[in-house]
Amino acid sequence: MISDAPVLQQSSDTAESAAAPSRLSRYARPMLGLLLPLILALGWEFVVWLGWSNGRLVPPPSRVFATIADLARSGELVRHIAATLWRVGLGFAFGVIAGTLLGAISGYWSLARRLLDPTVQALRAIPSLAWVPLFILWLGIFETSKIVLIAVGVFFPVYLGVMGAILSVDRKIFEVGRVFRLSGPAMIRRILLPAVLPAYVVSLRVGLGLGWMFVVAAELIGASEGLGYLLLDGQQLGKPAQIMAAIVIFAILGKLTDWLIEVAAAPFLRWQDAFGRAKGA
Amino acid sequence: MLALDRISKTYPNGVHALARFSADIKQGEILAIIGGSGCGKSTLLRAIAGLDRASSGTVTLDSEAISSPHAKIGIIFQEPRLLPWLSVADNIGFGLADLPAAERREKVARALARVGLADKAQAWPRELSGGQAQRVAIARALVPQPEVLLLDEPFSALDAFTRRDLQDHLLDLWADTRPTLILVTHDVDEAVVLADRVLVMRPRPGRLFDQIEINLTRPRDRNSPLFENFKRSVLTSLDRSLDRSVPDRDATQGPGQAMWW
Repeated sequence: MISDAPVLQQSSDTAESAAAPSRLSRYARPMLGLLLPLILALGWEFVVWLGWSNGRLVPPPSRVFATIADLARSGELVRHIAATLWRVGLGFAFGVIAGTLLGAISGYWSLARRLLDPTVQALRAIPSLAWVPLFILWLGIFETSKIVLIAVGVFFPVYLGVMGAILSVDRKIFEVGRVFRLSGPAMIRRILLPAVLPAYVVSLRVGLGLGWMFVVAAELIGASEGLGYLLLDGQQLGKPAQIMAAIVIFAILGKLTDWLIEVAAAPFLRWQDAFGRAKGA
Repeated sequence: MLALDRISKTYPNGVHALARFSADIKQGEILAIIGGSGCGKSTLLRAIAGLDRASSGTVTLDSEAISSPHAKIGIIFQEPRLLPWLSVADNIGFGLADLPAAERREKVARALARVGLADKAQAWPRELSGGQAQRVAIARALVPQPEVLLLDEPFSALDAFTRRDLQDHLLDLWADTRPTLILVTHDVDEAVVLADRVLVMRPRPGRLFDQIEINLTRPRDRNSPLFENFKRSVLTSLDRSLDRSVPDRDATQGPGQAMWW
């Protein structure tokens, strides 16, 4: 269209002029977030260095990193991280599979929702840690009970997310599928899946967060390895630096796995990303 | 030929939306259906599209009964209803999934050029203006070459200039393959610009009130006195349709209703 040409010209001009400050802020903004923790950590390091505090109960960053380095050198760190990652990975996988299946069934099929959902919601109201004694009695003190506990934690947000997403798919978009006479499977593949994907990714990230929460609970109960064991060990032997080290590693792993989900989903959600795409195109 | 035979629709909540609506629509005809709100225009269109079942009565296209969406019947809604996760090109090709990729690409490219959006092929729907999005919706509905295209107030959400532009554009596209167009509207101007025949409906329950043939050659001059004449006669009919003291012209109404006194 001829009438569109000037408008196009204009929009690309504004995009160009906006690109320079946005590139700056893309890196500057996360840096801004790092400022406060960095100042606090350096400040505390300084306070201990000056001798105003002995830093025994609240070890300065240098001592925490020294502990991490020690653990890494002895190979302990890898063993603990591997154990925890394994538990979170398995628990997350089972929780996601169960949550996705049941969430999809009760979202898609209203009879199933009426049958299933009240029970699931009632179970959800139970604080999940209340299951721990029962799981230990049923499944033993070793890996199975831990993985099940994590799976339970992951299950609920994924279930709710999938069901909610399916229920909120726009009826008008569904009708487009009907007009083009999509079969059941095609309707799911071409309309339903892309429509629920954004909410699904969010529920996966929430579920993963809960998975990390529950792995700590599971490992505090009784474990001979894992980051949660490091926490407990540090408490019992009075090693606050080891506790802090485990906390730091939890934070790094949690953020890293969350970022993995985000990155893996990004190519499928480009249509939604309002800023990056509009400027890049 | 599309035949509508005594179509009635009562919704589960008891609303009597449509009563014994009959019409025959010739292949290639442009029909406008106009009426006040609640006169069952959209209900009728959804029944023809096969999206909703009529309570009674039949829709037949070339002696084939329509009860579910049909390959020969396309529909354009009031909103573009583009799929936000598909590019403009993929949206237009949405109904062509059965074709080989090369053929689909070629048809989509031709349709894009035809609606003047070739440079937007890889854009996302949210990057389009309202008029552009509706043009993509028109292309998506036309690209499988339907025999009948239904339009449910397709331009009512657009500003006056864009609306005129798209009305002309629609006629232009219609001339390519000359499908039957059935246009539901509440805009008298739009009905007279586009249609060969205007059906006026009256509400509660929705039923046929009047029909007006528009014997004007295309392209039509919106400012000619003849055009004004047709507009006035549609308006007059529309006013009468909303006046409860005017009896139905349709003799097929039950006798009890006419002699309620």
